Amino acid sequence: MSATSWGWLVLAFPLAGMLVIALGWKVLPDRVAGWIGSAAIGGAFASAIAMLIDLQDQPEEARSLVDSAWTYASTAGFSVDMSILVDPLSVMMCLIVSGVSFLIHVYSVAYMESDRSYKRFFAYLNFFVFSMLLLVLAANFVLLIVGWAFVGAASYLLISFWYRRTTATKAGIKAFVINVIGDVGLVIGAFLLFDATGALDYAGVFADVGTAFSHNDGQLVAACLLLLVGAFAKSAQLPLHTWLPDAMEGPTPVSSLIHAATMVTAGVYLIARMHPLFEQAPAAADISAVIGTLTLFVAASIALVMTDLKRAIAYSTMSQIGYMILGVSVFAYSAGMFHLMTHAFFKALLFMGAGSVIAAMANEQSLDKMGGFRKAMPFTYATFTAGALALAGFPLTSGFFSKDEILAYTINRGDWFVALAVVGYITAFLTAIYAFRLVFRVFHGEPSEQARELEGGHLAHAEPFNPATGEAEDTEAGFPGPEHHIAEREGAMKAAMGPLALLAIFAGFVQIPGVTDVIEKFLEPTFAGSHYVHDHPSDSAEYMGMAVGALISIAGILVAARIYLWRPGTSAKLQERFAPLHTLLSNKWYFDEAYDLGVVRPMTALGRFGRTVIESSFVQGFLVGGTVGIVRAGSSFARSIQTGELRAYAAVLLLGLSAIVLYFLIVAS
Amino acid sequence: MLTIHLTIVVFLPVVAALIGALLPERIGRWVVVAGSVAVLGYAIAMIADFGAGTTGMHYVTDAEWIPELGIRYQLGVDGLNLFLVALTALLWVAAMVWSAVRETERQKLFLFHMALAETAVLGAFLAQDLALFVLFFDLMLVPFYFLIGGWGQGDRVAATTKFVIYTLVGSLLMLAGAVALGVLTASHSGNDLSFSIAELAANPLPEGSQQWIFLLFALAFLVKAPAFPFHGWVVDTYRATPIPVLVCLSAVLSKVGVYAFLRIVLPTMPDASVHFQDLILVIAVFSILYGSVLAFSQDEPRLVLAYSSIAQLGFITLGIFAIDDLGSQGAVMQMVNHGLVVGALLFVIAVFTVRAGGSPTLAQMGGIALRAPVLAALFLIVTFATLAMPGSPNFVGEILILFGALEDKIVFGLIASLGVVLAAVYAIRLFQKSMHNRVGPGVGGSDLSALDFGLIAPIAAVIVALGVYPQLILERTEDATTAQVAAAAKLTEDGTPSRADQQREPTGEPGGDGHGSAEPRQTVTSVGTDGHSTVTETP
Amino acid sequence: MDISWFIVLSAFIFCIGAAGVMTRRSPLVILLCLELMLNAGNLALIAFSRMVGNVEGQIFALIVMVVAACEVVIGLGIIVAMYRRKLPIDVDDMAELRG
Repeated sequence: MSATSWGWLVLAFPLAGMLVIALGWKVLPDRVAGWIGSAAIGGAFASAIAMLIDLQDQPEEARSLVDSAWTYASTAGFSVDMSILVDPLSVMMCLIVSGVSFLIHVYSVAYMESDRSYKRFFAYLNFFVFSMLLLVLAANFVLLIVGWAFVGAASYLLISFWYRRTTATKAGIKAFVINVIGDVGLVIGAFLLFDATGALDYAGVFADVGTAFSHNDGQLVAACLLLLVGAFAKSAQLPLHTWLPDAMEGPTPVSSLIHAATMVTAGVYLIARMHPLFEQAPAAADISAVIGTLTLFVAASIALVMTDLKRAIAYSTMSQIGYMILGVSVFAYSAGMFHLMTHAFFKALLFMGAGSVIAAMANEQSLDKMGGFRKAMPFTYATFTAGALALAGFPLTSGFFSKDEILAYTINRGDWFVALAVVGYITAFLTAIYAFRLVFRVFHGEPSEQARELEGGHLAHAEPFNPATGEAEDTEAGFPGPEHHIAEREGAMKAAMGPLALLAIFAGFVQIPGVTDVIEKFLEPTFAGSHYVHDHPSDSAEYMGMAVGALISIAGILVAARIYLWRPGTSAKLQERFAPLHTLLSNKWYFDEAYDLGVVRPMTALGRFGRTVIESSFVQGFLVGGTVGIVRAGSSFARSIQTGELRAYAAVLLLGLSAIVLYFLIVAS
Repeated sequence: MLTIHLTIVVFLPVVAALIGALLPERIGRWVVVAGSVAVLGYAIAMIADFGAGTTGMHYVTDAEWIPELGIRYQLGVDGLNLFLVALTALLWVAAMVWSAVRETERQKLFLFHMALAETAVLGAFLAQDLALFVLFFDLMLVPFYFLIGGWGQGDRVAATTKFVIYTLVGSLLMLAGAVALGVLTASHSGNDLSFSIAELAANPLPEGSQQWIFLLFALAFLVKAPAFPFHGWVVDTYRATPIPVLVCLSAVLSKVGVYAFLRIVLPTMPDASVHFQDLILVIAVFSILYGSVLAFSQDEPRLVLAYSSIAQLGFITLGIFAIDDLGSQGAVMQMVNHGLVVGALLFVIAVFTVRAGGSPTLAQMGGIALRAPVLAALFLIVTFATLAMPGSPNFVGEILILFGALEDKIVFGLIASLGVVLAAVYAIRLFQKSMHNRVGPGVGGSDLSALDFGLIAPIAAVIVALGVYPQLILERTEDATTAQVAAAAKLTEDGTPSRADQQREPTGEPGGDGHGSAEPRQTVTSVGTDGHSTVTETP
Repeated sequence: MDISWFIVLSAFIFCIGAAGVMTRRSPLVILLCLELMLNAGNLALIAFSRMVGNVEGQIFALIVMVVAACEVVIGLGIIVAMYRRKLPIDVDDMAELRG
């Protein structure tokens, strides 16, 4: 079988899984549905590996295969096929997506067990994986947009999975609408490219980029910026990021899969995929780099003060994606993709650990109430720490190599890019602090009540409540059910977290500058046409960067240890001392408030204005009233003639008759 | 190629209804339903028979009717009306079955009116003679008057009055326009008086007379669509009309107006269409924004749909008056899609309104998904299609419309794309407020009954199928649609061809077979002259 | 004899009848006056028929008489029915058809 046939299978497995679970929802037992879902993703992962092997058999210049199944829409010059593109970039994304998804599915089999909508969950989750794979395999813009929107829909459905929670449904609609803004950006961007090149498939557009556009051509820059709107909406970059923290309303495996490991990194994939465009329009790429840098700093600063465990990790995700965006925007594609991969491992792992902790806390998510889980949950502690080390960029962990590579490439661009790299290093320091703030606050210190109970062998129980509002939960539907599942006690969860912990620590060794460089070599065929493909920082510069990165990371961890571990009161003192800063950060730089004031309220007011003023006075009053009035006036005139008086009728008749006679008499004479 | 007598297709429903009226109620209603099922069978046969890329007019019926006035009885099918006929047939079957299995007062009479309405709508879609079109267009009003007035709910009298007056004023203007168009064309060209659309298109009037006739037609069709600000009848009508009637009204009747733009206005009045392009585009864009904004501030599901229809019809109008192949192809696609989606949505709303204790407001609903998961799943599919989620057929329609609009009128295209975002807001809000959140006070009941499932699921299945293979529609409509806009498109051509064309032209590359600067293929769709089966009948 | 005498007489009778229809309030009298008007017409028809010298006018007059007879039958029937139901016999009170 050729690589593209495997590619179709990669798509077919999750789709079939979704259909089987969705159509068999009445007859399938819960666990069986979970395993069917996991097996489907496992099948997709296996097919992706087969695809990889087949692709590697091809000569390097032929490692970009397109296969078309049928004509999707073709009319009047607009021509789109249902076609997939298999090249190293899409294969790498497929491997990451299906691999991490498989582990998270396995984790969910146990984690979601007490949920009443277990099968719905797996149907959605399989649908998500299908959409994400469609997104990365698409060979043209329209199919890309289809996958793009499908993942948005899946994300919406899973964010509002516990739909009896008003907070969850609100978060869902917010995420959905911001994602649609991104979709529209993509559509218009695709139009601008179509307008200039007459093509909608990648190959056709990229082939014409050089001839259709001059360097930094206005239309191309506009198109790229619109593509960036799509990328930023999906990847939660400033200023379209406000949905991601709220998306934590979804079940924890969802946060782990969609809102950390895979979907939110789609923006990075998009920029990497569109590299011929961005290289022709470096102005857009520069804007993207700056926004990525801003995001990585702002998000990290917020992550420092968040007290909600999941939201803190969500801001960390934003920040890390900022690094990736920076990487691909300075044309360091393999570095960006490398970080995408390592981040998928360690962030999925962190969320899984968080899920386990939250279950042990009986659904409480506030860091303030946690503490001392180290002894109660040794396995979770070990894996969570592994993830945190990678996130903090501790020397020789995966995050260490990937993050430093991005920053080394950024410095290599020289000029003002050095400033971006400096911000990146400062943020790396903050990253190490917040990563270990989580570790120390959750697992160290005075054991909380729940931790003590767990040590005694019991699971803490609480009446179900909404962690965001404290409202009592409507237990009729969905989680949290009566049982909580924590990693310590479930084989399936351990089986998912173990491999990820190993990957988080060791995956970095595939790309040690000057030593292994596996990722870079693998991706080379995709980026062969890039002007920057051979523009490496020298090995010595990379090692310098690594040394700096290592120092910063260790310093950050030590600072965190000093604040949260050795002198527990320090954080309160700092809060007091920098009160305005703390207020700014804990209000998340007031983005939500600004949107509410600038967009939501005016729109609602406009709707109210339309309903009360335009509808009632203009449309109903003036137009309807006017038309009806004219008709009514005419008819009332006609009615007034009909008096019902017989003699009056006779008189009118005679009058008319005599008038006619008179007329003829006059005419005759 | 099959031989299909379109006269049979058009009058089958009403004949079946007459037969059904003579039979006892239990059998009679199923005879009426059988009539519309047969029409659906015909429609499917026509689609199957109508190969991809077929050109010209098919199954033509052409007979003299009133020779003194030059009125002919001309019916025909081409790519433009093929799927609208199928849509009509499908939704009428659903609506008829829906009302046949439910307790309805004076059921046979109700079904008779429905059948008469189907005949009128089919006639309007199939007519190739302007006078015949006008006749069927006005005939549509009669059954709907009785259906809304006799079986409506709430303030049905006011609703009927508004509906009838509005559409009647519109059709009177159109009648005047049609007569003027026929007479002036005859005197201008020196030919015999004729109302055949093909003939009218072959001899266009001078621009001055085109313009005022255009305005008469446009007003009639914009009222019917409805477009802002001529939508005054919409709110009351949507509130009062019984659901099966509303399905037909909203899904099919609203398409007659926009269809007529493509069928009649663009080919016969190309100069005026170009002259008033901006005006109509402003109305279209305003309808999109206004409809969307109002749709998300409504508290009744029916009204959300009412305003969303205004927005969707705005998109269709935008596509048509982009006056190019892409936009009009998108518009044709979107006519079918919107019909399907809105039909399914109305049935869903009818079902869950019952679940919510009959309350018409969203505030009283919520949390229905738990009790009715199948309903929620179908609703979800339809909701995603409504907001033109990529992957749904509506997305293909909308992207074609947007591309068409952006290509020629970029400002309108950009503003209209805001409507896409707003659509997401109102559609998801409707879904969420009814299906999700806390359980509403009066919410109860069970899942979809097997029968209702049997009505809604096929429509949803058609939506999904078209989402996977939209080419089914596009390849059949392409030729007819491009022929309709060709005359007007030629006039706008010297505007702004796309950059790809500018670059291609000198090199003469064959690849870009013309978007934007499409070569005018065939200015007129000639009836019965291109060797296809021609059936002549004398009525 | 000159035809004008007949015409004048006919016009005279017609005017009497018309005046009666417009001024009287009793339906019975109005019916009588209607008869007068019809017969004025008949007179004119027969006069012209004689003048022209064929019988078509006379046939017309016969038909008018038949119609008049029918009308009187119906009209009287209505009046009798009104008596039975004790309704006021006054055309001014019968304005049910007012729009």
